[in-house]
Amino acid sequence: MSGVLVVAEARRGELREVTLELIGAAKGLGQGPLSVAVVDHDPSRFADRLALDGVDAVLAVKTPGEHFEPHVAQSALEGLIAAEQPSLVLLAHSIDSLGFAPAVAARGGLGFASDVTRIWWEDGPVVGRSAYGGKLEAELDFPGRDTVLLLLRGGTFEPAEPGGAAPAWREVAVELREPRSEHVEFREVEAGDVDITKADFLLSVGRGIEDKDNVEQFEELAERLGATLSVSRPLVDAGWVPGARQVGQSGKTVKPKVYLALGISGAVQHLAGMRGADTIIAVNTDPEAPIFSVAHYGAVADLFDVAEQLEQQSG
Amino acid sequence: MARDPKYDILFEPIQLGPKTLKNRFYQVPHCIGAGSEKPGMQAYHRGIKAEGGWGACCTEYCSIHPESDDTSRVSARIWDEGDVRNLKAMTDRLHHFGALAGIELWYGGPHAPCMESRATPRGPSQIPSDFELNIHPRYMDKDDINEVQQMYVDAAIRARDAGFDIVYVYGAHAYLPFQFLSPFYNRRTDEYGGSFENRARFWKESLEKVREAVGDDCAIASRFAVDHLLGATSIQVDEDGVRFVEHVDHLVDLWDLTVGDIAEWGQNAGPSRFFEENHEKPFTGQVKAGNHTNKPVVGVGRVTNPDTMVAIIQSGQFDIIGAARPSISDPFLPKKIEEGRPDDIRECIGCNQCISRWEIGGPPMVCTQNATAGEEYRRGWPPEKFSKAGNADKGVLVVGAGPAGMECAMVLGKRQMSAVHLVEADSEIGGCVNWISKLGHSDGKENLFRGTARGLGEWSRIVNYRQVQLDKLKNVEVHLNSRLSAQDVLEYGAEIVVIATGCHFATDGLNPATHTPIPGADTSLDWQLTPDEVVAGNKPIGQRVLVLENEAYFMGASIAQKLAGEGKDVTLVTQAADVADYMHYTLEAPMLHRDLHRLGVDIRTYTMVDSIEPGACTLYNVWDDRHKDKVEVDTVVLCTQRLSNDELYRELKSDPAALQREGIEAVYIIGDASAPRMIVDSVFDGHRLAREIDSDNPAMPLPFIRERRLWGDTGNGDFESQLLAPSDMVAAG
Amino acid sequence: MRIVVPVKQVAVVDEDFELVDGGSAVDPDFLEWSLNEWDEFSVEAALQMGDEVIVVTVGEEEATEGLLACLAKGADRALRIWDPALEGADALAVARVLAAAVGRESPDLVLCGVQSSDAVNSATGIGLAAHLDLPHLAVARAISADGDSLTVERELEGGLIEVVRVGLPALLTVQTGINEPRYANLRAIKQAREKPLEVLDLAGLGLSESDVDAARGSRLRKLAVPEAGEGAEMLQGSPAEVATRIREIVAERLSA
Repeated sequence: MSGVLVVAEARRGELREVTLELIGAAKGLGQGPLSVAVVDHDPSRFADRLALDGVDAVLAVKTPGEHFEPHVAQSALEGLIAAEQPSLVLLAHSIDSLGFAPAVAARGGLGFASDVTRIWWEDGPVVGRSAYGGKLEAELDFPGRDTVLLLLRGGTFEPAEPGGAAPAWREVAVELREPRSEHVEFREVEAGDVDITKADFLLSVGRGIEDKDNVEQFEELAERLGATLSVSRPLVDAGWVPGARQVGQSGKTVKPKVYLALGISGAVQHLAGMRGADTIIAVNTDPEAPIFSVAHYGAVADLFDVAEQLEQQSG
Repeated sequence: MARDPKYDILFEPIQLGPKTLKNRFYQVPHCIGAGSEKPGMQAYHRGIKAEGGWGACCTEYCSIHPESDDTSRVSARIWDEGDVRNLKAMTDRLHHFGALAGIELWYGGPHAPCMESRATPRGPSQIPSDFELNIHPRYMDKDDINEVQQMYVDAAIRARDAGFDIVYVYGAHAYLPFQFLSPFYNRRTDEYGGSFENRARFWKESLEKVREAVGDDCAIASRFAVDHLLGATSIQVDEDGVRFVEHVDHLVDLWDLTVGDIAEWGQNAGPSRFFEENHEKPFTGQVKAGNHTNKPVVGVGRVTNPDTMVAIIQSGQFDIIGAARPSISDPFLPKKIEEGRPDDIRECIGCNQCISRWEIGGPPMVCTQNATAGEEYRRGWPPEKFSKAGNADKGVLVVGAGPAGMECAMVLGKRQMSAVHLVEADSEIGGCVNWISKLGHSDGKENLFRGTARGLGEWSRIVNYRQVQLDKLKNVEVHLNSRLSAQDVLEYGAEIVVIATGCHFATDGLNPATHTPIPGADTSLDWQLTPDEVVAGNKPIGQRVLVLENEAYFMGASIAQKLAGEGKDVTLVTQAADVADYMHYTLEAPMLHRDLHRLGVDIRTYTMVDSIEPGACTLYNVWDDRHKDKVEVDTVVLCTQRLSNDELYRELKSDPAALQREGIEAVYIIGDASAPRMIVDSVFDGHRLAREIDSDNPAMPLPFIRERRLWGDTGNGDFESQLLAPSDMVAAG
Repeated sequence: MRIVVPVKQVAVVDEDFELVDGGSAVDPDFLEWSLNEWDEFSVEAALQMGDEVIVVTVGEEEATEGLLACLAKGADRALRIWDPALEGADALAVARVLAAAVGRESPDLVLCGVQSSDAVNSATGIGLAAHLDLPHLAVARAISADGDSLTVERELEGGLIEVVRVGLPALLTVQTGINEPRYANLRAIKQAREKPLEVLDLAGLGLSESDVDAARGSRLRKLAVPEAGEGAEMLQGSPAEVATRIREIVAERLSA
């Protein structure tokens, strides 16, 4: 077994950005030839996007169906693994991958780990991932497994850059299984009652916004950024915002992908409600604000200035 | 768990004259309705705070002489040896827990009506009190001045005998020393009036004399309102305020700073409706900021958040965190910070119910958040200790998670009942607090005087605290979105059922004045609303609104504030002498009235609604119901009275055979469901039932200790019989 | 419909905790156990749709409480599987064991939670489907039964939903919020103890230790407390530059 097989992910004709991160992660390992598998109705439409530094080959598997189907995807990957015998298979830890990748690993008796945030090589892959809901980090290895299948967490690894020689393009004939489910349609989710615990992206404001009248401005900014507005306790105490939007110990615990905190100092009770967020970005004029101790990114800046810029740039 | 190092600064000791204050948590003088004549209540209420970690606890204002008598309001007194003995119960208890004991020596002058002593209060000039019933003081000549100063000295000596560590010469809240200092009260032309030095002389001399008498043994403190908030007519912080601090700095070991006076005490004991945490900072903060003192400073501002406390000390605003209400709400606040569990702190909501009982004159204190306040001695309730219930094996179903239900379930949980289910029909717990906490706003603009309507958002802490506690209790399950029928209750499988289903507003104008519905009143119509409907916002509100308030507390006025703030033309009608009568006791009335007047609310007192028809209400003055007055309106809001939601309870009680068959041993009803009341009383009701769930007849409250003298005991100050003391340590379960 | 619901009793680590076994496990004294949040929803979905609901778990004694909670809600039968050889079993090893247990029930539908809140592998359900060779769909936010088939809404990234049809028998992994889980009253909690709760080891399922070893996907080398972080990466520059960088980060993270 050798080489790394990255499984590209696409939806509705678009290659998803996370694919570039998988390739970047694979390249970083330097464990032999790097192939990218594209399992799609029309794989060639992604050729340009896969001309990336580090990609040696693109393996195209044509599917009869237009949409992702887990059993077809499963058989495609099983076929590719049988044909290419990679030592490492990388997919995104995404909703679609969750639908079939564990099945591939289970049936194939492969090494397997999901939601991987770190990966390195010690005579075989070793990975790091979160444990106990984020309180700890676990280190896993895969003794006795010639092929290891990993789902990498999105937004964690450096994406590959364009460049390098155009990769070799190869159509791979794989025996595909019949679909066992039928795509009916796509739909957008309706905006209903605000449930901040369901939001992927929270724009959270605190006392720093100073005035009740400013709440509306930040509501609009949230909408423009595609975020849901949440708040820290003082705004609920002051009656500016209903309690359903409160993040914190006596409010809601949230774990969005992105938590953008403007003008929140980070009282212990507030941190308890949001420290599990995947990515925390905090803006505060006080460099000592406790929120910076849990944030992944911070800026000591005036929140109104930054908010204004965000608004203009998203216009 | 360990204390978070960022709070270490709150636990650093600090020297107050000859005494060491062990940490920065200081319970400033405040009233509780105990005085010297309920020594048990006094000792145990102050003592519970010492047990909870407060470094010092003070009496309430303590009269130095029968000429300073505030009856029917309850002050402490240190007139004689009997008082010394009674107050020693307090100091002993504080010392037992390692806290310092403070006594606030008080002479009220004309503010104290002397209705019990029938003495004549003295004052610097013969200007009647702006607070009380125009009590005139006797003008103090030099002999009077010496006599009164001697009263302070004698009282200080008695205080030392009683074991007090900190002795105050109290001049805040416009009591006597301040009356000399302020030209608002002092029109003298001798050496005690006129110039600053002259006006300061009385206070300075009093401090000198007291210091000389007890200063070696006790810390000398002075409570000073650095700004009277009356502008140039009285003391302003940046003029005579800081000047006075500098003038007598050498005579005090501790400054206790406030603002305002007793006539509008709400500017100092600011309710959360109008004042945010640390609201006195612009005034009291100037003393240290301007380097006007070399002595430690304690100040207040309804500070409940430990991070704010740290910021106050680190920024140099004060040296010591003063608290009255936050210490009532959570006597164990310091301990909880020390033990690394600040999330367990029960934060004051600033409702001022505690204050209201003192204002009424007589009743013991209460606290919405802490049902044990005032009950430590007479019912033996410690706030953080709960004995295991004797019937802990019984399962309990509590129906309704409003203030009463939440409190009952929480205490039952802490009493280790094996299984408590708190079931709520709504999608969140909190009951009426959820909509009431949305009131209290008007138009967001500043008021004519200090204090802008900022809403009752902090009242939602009632729910926050209980939410956190209920989550921690493994034996309590909370179920939402579940409305139980009588059949559901019968089948639930609980041996004990507690009905806490709250109340609703009368929909037909039924009211305490006429005892009949009002013709034409019908809130099922879309142009008539109950107050909760106004908050829910599902019915349109026309431009001209009439709000009828017979409720005497905040509801009608708050609805008027909200709608006037939204630009409506509001007429607020009450049959009483004043709207929102009870808000005088909670100190919210002055700011409320300024707000209502600024918003142009048409207030009609002594007025009732005779009838309602589409587009108009007919009103009459209660003193002359022959003359009726028609007012054109688009919308009517009826805050006349409430009615219990007790159908479920009645249905269950109607079939005792079914209860028995299903193994239900008892059905209790608490809170508004039993009888509509104030939130503070609902919380108490739920708490009491849970504390007494294993008594012989939990529905009937157990007797509480009344501190009274029994006929046949020998004379005043010579008690033969021991007052019953409840056990100090509640038996651990 | 007979529905089998695999459930998990998950561990919550106390604020102060200690590691034991050379850093490969958390000291059990610092663990608290409760039923996996996702399983509340899968059990509820089963109770709503099924005539017979069987809950299965791989877990030690502390998992009994979770099973009793499911029985109290209305499940008919429970099965707990444990064997010393299952110590440290990963998602795929558990999936293999579950397959044996679930298979013997011949269910019409298997409902799993998308993930467990402690390990968050999001793999056991689909791994189980593979072993059972059942048609499967992951991350269902709505299910409606239509005779022999199900219409399922899958919750995709970015607020997108995919509507998919699948025939029975099948396995679905179920997302939180799919329904309003019912709760058990005190009577049901008491009566749960009278419902059948079977306990089996590997042998009882006809499995051997080597079956489990072959199925294992990974080995836990060690646990560590994550570094307190070098702290936040501070963004420099003017508000405009900061805003640009924030937008970049947000776009990156949300696309994943």
